[in-house]
Amino acid sequence: MKKLSILLLPIVIVAGFIVISWYQKLLSPTTGEDEVKHPLISKQKSRDKMARTGKPQRIVSLAPNITEILFALGLDKEIVAVSSDSDYPAGAANKKKVGTFWQPNTEAVIVSKPDLVITLWFEQQNQVAESLKRLDYPVLTLKIEKIEELLTAIQQIGVATGSKQRAEQLAKDISTQLNELQSKFGSAYKVKVLWVVQPEPLRVAGRNTFVNKLIELAGGENAVGQTIQQYPPIGTEEILTCGAEIIIQSAMGTAGTSEQQKAAEKFWSKFAALPAVKNNRIYVVQPDTVLRLGPRLCQGIELIANCLHPGENR
Amino acid sequence: MTETLTSKKLAITFFFCLLALVVVMALCAVVGTQKISLAKALSGPADTPGENIDYEILMGVRLPRVILAALVGGALACCGVVLQAILRNPLADPYILGISSGAGLGAIIAVLSGLTWRFWGGSPIAVFAFVGALITVWLVWGIGHLAGAGKSQVTTLLLAGVVVNAFFAAVIMFLTSIAKSDQIHSTIFWLMGNITEKNRSVLLVSAACIIAGIIALFSICHRLNVLTFGQDQAKALGVDTAVTQITAFGLAAFITAIAVSLSGLIGFVGLIVPHAVRLVFGPDHRRLLPVSAIIGGAFLVVADTIARTIVAPAQLPVGVITAIAGGPFFLILLAKYSRKVSWLK
Repeated sequence: MKKLSILLLPIVIVAGFIVISWYQKLLSPTTGEDEVKHPLISKQKSRDKMARTGKPQRIVSLAPNITEILFALGLDKEIVAVSSDSDYPAGAANKKKVGTFWQPNTEAVIVSKPDLVITLWFEQQNQVAESLKRLDYPVLTLKIEKIEELLTAIQQIGVATGSKQRAEQLAKDISTQLNELQSKFGSAYKVKVLWVVQPEPLRVAGRNTFVNKLIELAGGENAVGQTIQQYPPIGTEEILTCGAEIIIQSAMGTAGTSEQQKAAEKFWSKFAALPAVKNNRIYVVQPDTVLRLGPRLCQGIELIANCLHPGENR
Repeated sequence: MTETLTSKKLAITFFFCLLALVVVMALCAVVGTQKISLAKALSGPADTPGENIDYEILMGVRLPRVILAALVGGALACCGVVLQAILRNPLADPYILGISSGAGLGAIIAVLSGLTWRFWGGSPIAVFAFVGALITVWLVWGIGHLAGAGKSQVTTLLLAGVVVNAFFAAVIMFLTSIAKSDQIHSTIFWLMGNITEKNRSVLLVSAACIIAGIIALFSICHRLNVLTFGQDQAKALGVDTAVTQITAFGLAAFITAIAVSLSGLIGFVGLIVPHAVRLVFGPDHRRLLPVSAIIGGAFLVVADTIARTIVAPAQLPVGVITAIAGGPFFLILLAKYSRKVSWLK
């Protein structure tokens, strides 16, 4: 039957393609993972790369906190390109930019001829990392969402960049500083803090966030209780009853901090019953050190602590 | 259009459209944020990675991306044609029966659950989106079938699609509101539609499925033509409308689900390309379907090239470009040709 053959044709084609792709998969060298290597790049080359043990000379960083770690490890010269949101330290501004943290540009990464690309673990970066791996570029993918993960990540970067000792020192310094801060603020009175992510519509940092962890380390307590959202939008009723003694608002955009401070004070003046508003303890801070899990972590905690315990630090 | 469509005419049109697609793809592969020398790129791979970067960019980054864009564009445009025909509704697009929200829900569940495995080089997002899309389509078809017996079936199907879409969209919003900020970003980029490089096995398998699906749809073009007259007349002309509808619908849903799992929700291609082609070439599905598939592919290739170059070194989601570029272009076509042909012949 003619009709039947037309209907069968697609199935035959699909089967054919699948067989071809399986066949290719069997032929091409795999690294034991589920990915297919670029078939046009020979096995020899992968072996060469494995044998090449020295320090990477051309590193590309795809996230601002990775850039900070690399600079902190003194790899200033080795970094060839960074993501365009890497704005600290000042040296990062002179590096070539390869697209944003959220949308890295694979072509730009390749053109900078990297011998090590460091990415963070999430969907958009994973896609770029896969493309690069397929072309045999060495990629280091890190998951940095907690403080412990940051310390591990620093050491991993140290191993990959041949600066193991410096990395261990940096990780050690950070954990010592953390311990010091903890013993300094651990016993203090727990100040109730409301961390405002954006004022309109009002969203605050919940308990299950990194900011919350820093607030606790700085000797505070989140004024908002357990919520299912990470950054819950909260209503007027909750604000009035949360009893926040301090309100910290992260600065946004390019407007000056003092202007934003004024705007924040005006915004909060309608909640006059709140202790924070009554005692005029509203702070607008630059959130980079707080929201970016990097080597400036302890500065972030101190920044919060300065708001929480004014006068005690100085 | 009173002229008759011979197979010779069809073959000529088909050939020239295919030629145009290949030219467009070749041009777009050469254009990019980084200047590459074609001679060097074609000289083959170097011995160490990083030596012949022109080749690596062309073969490893741009070509897979251009091919993927052509596939997805073709799939979406083709499904748009079919759904507009079986639903007899000019507003129908591949997403009208709930595929977008079903796939979106699958994607956000994959992002939230933080799965790390990879399936044949595809991420969990792609797999979940594919499954979500198929389940939703099955749900919508089931509801439409149960509720609407007889003549009103098309209307019921549309209503079921709209309601399921709305419901899933609400669930998506709920899940987004409890997600972490980086997870939200991942999801939003996905919902806007994004073309990225895929590995060869994913490309091959999806290419096979999409091309096979389009060929299968082409084989029922005659019946789609008859179906646009209305169910009663189609039945009177000896076409089994129920079988035609479910075949066309099933194939279209399958192709769309693949396209969506590859690239997220790219809007507009499936709506305007079929209309544009219909305005220029007339409503005969034997011509409309293949030409739409090819033009849709070319359109998305161009849109993706713009998306990856216009804000270099950053990139835009391709869905933004298809909507911004597609809208005005379509209006111009509409103004120019609408006097010549009506929507349904």
